[in-house]
Parts: sequence; C-alpha cells; structure tokens
Amino acid sequence: MSLGTDESSSTPNLFAPRHRRIFVGRRGLVASTVSSAVLIGVLVAIFFWAPGSATVRYYYFNGHNMWQSFVGHPQTGLLSVGRGFLTNIWMCLLCEVLILFFGLAVAWIRVSRSPVLTPFRVLATAYTDVFRGVPLLLVVFLVGFGLPALGLGFISSQSPDVYGCVALTITYTAYVAEVFRAGIYSVPNGQILAARSLGLTHGTIMRRVTLPQAVRPVMPPLLNDFITLQKDTALVSVLGAIEAARAAQIYESTVFNGSGLVVASLLFLAITVPLTRFTDRLLDRDRKRRLASLS
Amino acid sequence: MRTFRLILAGLLSTTSLVAITLTSSVRAGASPSAAIAKCQTTIAAEEYTKGKLTVGTDDPVYTPWFVNNKPTNGKGFESALTYAIASVLGINKSNVVWTYEPFDNSYTPGPKKFDFDINEISYTAQRAKAVTFSESYYAVTQSIVTLKNSLVVKKHTPAELKTYLYGDQIGTTGLAYIYDHIHPTQQTRVYSTLDQAILALQTGQINAIVVDTPDGQYMASSEVEKNKKPDGDQIGQFPSTGEHYGLLFTKGNPLVGCINVAITALRDNGTLAALTKKWLDIYTSVPVIKP
Amino acid sequence: MNDNVVLDLDRVVKRFGDNEVLSGVSLQLHRHEVVCLIGASGSGKSTLLRCANLLERIDGGSISLFGQSLLDERIDPDLVRRHIGMVFQSFNLFPHLSVLENILLGPVRALKRDRAEAREEALALLERIGLRDRADEYPDRLSGGQQQRVAIVRSLAMRPALLLLDEVTSALDPTLVGEVLDLLRDLAANGTTMLIATHEMNFARDVARQVAYLDHGVLVEQGTPEQIFSHPEHESTRTFLERVR
Repeated sequence: MSLGTDESSSTPNLFAPRHRRIFVGRRGLVASTVSSAVLIGVLVAIFFWAPGSATVRYYYFNGHNMWQSFVGHPQTGLLSVGRGFLTNIWMCLLCEVLILFFGLAVAWIRVSRSPVLTPFRVLATAYTDVFRGVPLLLVVFLVGFGLPALGLGFISSQSPDVYGCVALTITYTAYVAEVFRAGIYSVPNGQILAARSLGLTHGTIMRRVTLPQAVRPVMPPLLNDFITLQKDTALVSVLGAIEAARAAQIYESTVFNGSGLVVASLLFLAITVPLTRFTDRLLDRDRKRRLASLS
Repeated sequence: MRTFRLILAGLLSTTSLVAITLTSSVRAGASPSAAIAKCQTTIAAEEYTKGKLTVGTDDPVYTPWFVNNKPTNGKGFESALTYAIASVLGINKSNVVWTYEPFDNSYTPGPKKFDFDINEISYTAQRAKAVTFSESYYAVTQSIVTLKNSLVVKKHTPAELKTYLYGDQIGTTGLAYIYDHIHPTQQTRVYSTLDQAILALQTGQINAIVVDTPDGQYMASSEVEKNKKPDGDQIGQFPSTGEHYGLLFTKGNPLVGCINVAITALRDNGTLAALTKKWLDIYTSVPVIKP
Repeated sequence: MNDNVVLDLDRVVKRFGDNEVLSGVSLQLHRHEVVCLIGASGSGKSTLLRCANLLERIDGGSISLFGQSLLDERIDPDLVRRHIGMVFQSFNLFPHLSVLENILLGPVRALKRDRAEAREEALALLERIGLRDRADEYPDRLSGGQQQRVAIVRSLAMRPALLLLDEVTSALDPTLVGEVLDLLRDLAANGTTMLIATHEMNFARDVARQVAYLDHGVLVEQGTPEQIFSHPEHESTRTFLERVR
C-alpha cells in the first residue's frame, strides 16, 4: 500500500444509522426529556406507592417531628439536633486547621533529605502507614477510652469532644500528609533547579517556591478530605458526646420517630453540598486553564 | 434405713405438691386452670414458629437475670421465669428456642422475630405505642452506681446529685430517670452500650451511672473494676416510680393473652415470689435515697 | 594562577550509572570572555553547565571559581551559586510570582538586600529590556521570548561573576529567538562573562571569543570562531557543522 491519502473517487457515506438518530439534535432533546421523566416517575412511584410508604413517610419525614427534634426539649432531655450540629461544626473547623498544619509538617519531614531528620523521616513513614490503615472508629475508641484510662493527669481528663478531635486529627493528618507529598512531588524539577541556581537555601526554596506551587493542584483532594471530615465528626458520639446524629438517635429512642435523623442528614448536606459544588468548580476551572495553555 | 427415709421424703413432697396445686386451683376458682388448659391447645397457632416457643433476649446477658450468658441453662431470674411460663403452658423445655435481639431494637415498631422478648425491658407509655407488653413480672427501681472512692459516696443530697456528671446507655429508663428526676446541670454523656458507660466510669470520665437496681448491684460488685478488683459502689436506690418489667411482644400479638394467664398462675401459686426471692433477694437491701 | 580565570574546569568526569556523560572535559572561562559550547543533543553540554554550578556532583576532575576549588568540603554550594547565574532552556520562571517578584526573590532572600533598593534595581533592569510595564504581571501572560529575557535578567539581578546559559533559545518560536539573542549580544558587548551552550551557529560566530565542540562527552576541539567554523580540524567537528548548516 502506498503512502498518501485515499485516491478512490467515490464519496463515503456520512449519515448516521437510523436508530442512532434519536440522540442527535432536536430529537436528542426529546430523548433526554423522556429519560428524565421516566427516572423521576419510577422514584416517585416507589416512594409513594410502596406498601410501607405511609409508615416510612410518617416515621422519617414527619414535619412536626422534624421541627421538634431540631429545637429539642431540654426538660424531657430531648436534646436539640440543631444545637448538636454546632458541635459537629466547631470540631470540623478546629480539627481541619490542626490537620492542615500537621499534615504539612509530616509531608515536609518525609520529603526532606537532611541526615539530621532521618529518625523523624522513618517515624513519619511508619505513622502514615499505620494511621491510613486503622479504621477511624477504632482510633476514636483507643484514644477516647484509652487516654483517660492511662491516668495521666491533664491528658486523661479532657472532654470527649477533645478526644474525638485528637482521634480525627491523628487519622486525617496521615492522609493529608500524603496529599501534600504528592503535591510537592508534582512541582516541576525545573523550578527547583532555577531556585537552586539563584543560591536560595533549601528551606527558602521549600517555603517560597515549592509549597506555593504544591498546594494549588491538591486543593480538590484537600477539599474532599474536609468534606469527609465534616461527616466523620459524628463519630465523637461513641465517646458519649452529644452531636447532631446522636441527638437524633436519642429523640428516636424516646419518641419512636426517626424524623430527627433526616433533620441531622439535611444539616450535614447543607454544609457538604455547597463545598462539593465549589470543589467541582475549582476542578473545572483548573482543567480549562490547563487545556487552554496547551493550545 | 436411708432408702426408707428417701422414699418417705419423696412421698411427702409429692403429697404436699399435689395438695398445694389442688388448693390453689380450688382457691382461685375453676377458671384459671380452665384458661390454662385452653391456652395449651390454642397456643400452637399463635407461635412465631409453630410448636416452638421462640424467646428473644440480648447477647451478652448478665447475672442475676441469666447466668454465664447461657439462657438455656434455666438459671437466673429471667431464664427460670421463661421456663416456668413454658411449663405452665405445657411446652416442653426442649421446645423453648432462644434468639438474639439487641436491647435497642426490641421496643422499636415493626414485626418481631420472636414470640416474646425478655430482657429487663421496662414498660413505658411511649414504648407501648410501638409494641405490646405483658403484665408486670417484676417491679423495678433505679439505683445509682459510682466508684468506691468517689465523692458521690458521701455527698448525695438532691442538690449535690444535680452537680455530678452522669453517663448512661441510650434509650434506657435509667437515662430517662436522669433527665426526668435528677436534672443535672452538666450535659449527660450518652453511650451506645452500657459497657462503654462502665468503661467511662472506670476511667474517671463520668461520676455516676443510673441503672436498674439489680443490674446496679451486679455492676458494682463485679463489673466495675480497678486493677482487676471490684471498685464499684451502689450507693442507693431511688424511690419507685411505678416502673416495672414486662415481656415484650409484636404490637397486637394475641399470644400475650395466654402468657398473661401463665404469669398470673405463677404469681398465684407463689412461683413468681419464690423465683424473685431466689435470684433477686440480695438486691432489696440497698438503701433508698432521694433524687 | 591567572587571576583572569573566572571558571576553571579541569578534566571533569561525570557518570550517570554506567553511562559516562563527560569524559575528562577541560575548559577555562576568562573575565569578560564569552565561550560557546556546541555539539549534538546528548553531547554533554547541559551536564557540563550543571556541573559548573554544582547542581550535579562530578565524579572526577576539578572545578575552581576564581582559583578556589569548589570540591572542598567546607564549600557551601548555595553560596557558590549566588555567584554563578544560570538560565535554562525552559525559562523556569516562578509561575506563582509576578515578573518583578521573580527578579526580587534571589536578591532579597538569598543576598538579604534591602527590598526597596533591590526593587529599584529590578525595575531598572526591566527598563533596559523594555518590559518595565509588565513588572506586575504573571509569567504566563508573557511570550516565550519575553519570559526568557526576564529569566536572564533574574540571574543578572544577583550580580553574578559569570552566567551559564543552557540552549536558551532552543524552546522558542523562531520569531522570538532574535530578541533573546540581541540581549545576549548586548551583554557580551558590555563585557559579561558567559558560558553559552547553543545551536545558534551564527550567533556563536558573532559573539564568542572561544568555541568548544563537544561530542559524546569529549571536548573534541576548541578554538576561535574563525578556527572552528572555517577550518575545523577534526572529522567529527566537520561532520557536525555540515549537518547544522
């Protein structure tokens, strides 16, 4: 076969086969409308016409109970899910700050090459290996019941919120350190060469050249971890503290209505959904920028 | 000589047993035994598994309600009571089947996988909306358990009780008692299981737990530990609020009728009192304190 | 020791694993002198430059700056590199800093100079290359030629004793090559000491005092541009020059 373009004289057939034409143009619009309507219809049908539907709707989606659980009733010990959620929020914010700080520190240690830091490097590697492997729930138990058991004065007399935060920080730092490490490795080598050629010290290069460039690309995974952290704050309830999910459970076990659980879920969604959308937008923007610079 | 004495003893017990049975039936009138007889025939149709009495309880279960976590050994107040009820209704011991039901699940609405659940479940009006209870088989009080060297041991006036940090299992009447009667100033810690509350007590995270008096006695004498030695103290029990245990059934289960007949029979013939005395007597000597 | 010699590379050997990339290369760079390194890709030009400013450790031979051996254990490589500027083929401007901040980073953080003073100087440098009005913009808004000229100025801001330039026009669009070469010509005319690895033969001919030809890590031939381009002595030099014509 000779090199070159096709020399046959006949015009190729350019029309899409008939059965695929419904996906094109105006007919495509019809297809998407019909498919959406069918999906929504099925979901609605299941929700309203399933045999247990009325019970489920009363048990989980009852307006009066949703409000009652949200505001609580201190005299009867029915704690407010709304108030409990404040615990989730402050824990998430405080722990996230600690996690970012320690995560960066651990990543820094792991990428360093100074001989002085060798034992710390080994420790840091062991640390990230262990705490990315042990389930968070177990860490919560070990910290929340283990530390008080040690009888170490100040360390052993904290509230469950504090232990919960410690457990969350220990576990999430391990993940975030790896994210930062990946970011640091993703900085092009040319940047480091140029910085070293200017005679900048290792520490200055890390602070002024590497880290600023390492953090930007890892914002999406960091945001993802933040969103997951918000949900994991509910685990502090196993230590006896009252946060939104637990308050909802107490409501349910007393009144036999689970609408509080739906309220707690909605509260979590109110925070996580905007964050998720924001993360998506960031990813999109970065992608567009990357593709634009290539063209 | 020994053989003769044995035979005599046997004859005497049998006679007295027969006499007691006869007199109690005569005293109570013909209806109870007639009701029992009727139940013995109708019960099979109402059972979860025909021909078997399926009884639910938790795992693990504790003294004095069960012994060695084996409901089948007939030891412990609730185990013994179950087999006594079965016996009254003419159900053979080997036809009693035990099944696992966690405490938290038992009183939630919905159909159950057992004929009844026996697990120190207190009757409350709320729970009664979701499930059906038998009549009372034990009147219960709440008690307060702390560590041996705790402040609470000496200081437990009503005002002082309000200042302590309590912990309890979610969904229990102990927790409800704290909210309804003690009104502590500090937020009570709520745990998923009683074991965790005990752990918190041992590690000093909470000052006291409120729990049913018999449970509290066992807890204080055996479960709360320091260096493997019992370290608990059951300081006192609170005045009765009319709380009682009942057997728990799926809402509207007709079987409760016959079970109630059986319980009544056991109460009338003194078996219930005897069992209570045998397994729960030591727990009645706990001093009463005010909330 | 001739105190006119700024950089002395003496029988430098460099290996990457089993591969000997530089086999005893000797080269001297005098004050105000421009030396151009020519040779095919992979001949070792870039490696030689990176060894010169201690970005790579050499496996044999020696390197001296103003007569001071750079292999002495007491030497601080960071300090050394403040005296040796380097410009790369891919510019390597810091994308998260503005043009001005790119130029200020070295003087302020490494030389610890007063920021206001350094700023004045930086702006003056930008003025000289006609980019003063782009001072606050970020590198991605500049053309390749502009970025490379900023990179050159960034190195000059450190007031180094010499400049190493590694094929600084090879990644540029042909229309932008000229502005960079013009800047280098300017610098040469002003007496800047430079060691330039390049493919631009005409430029080398105009600007270099010495031209050195490398082939597979060996310095095959060195001489004036006249000597190398018009009367190359070695076969491989001739072959190479023929191919790039």
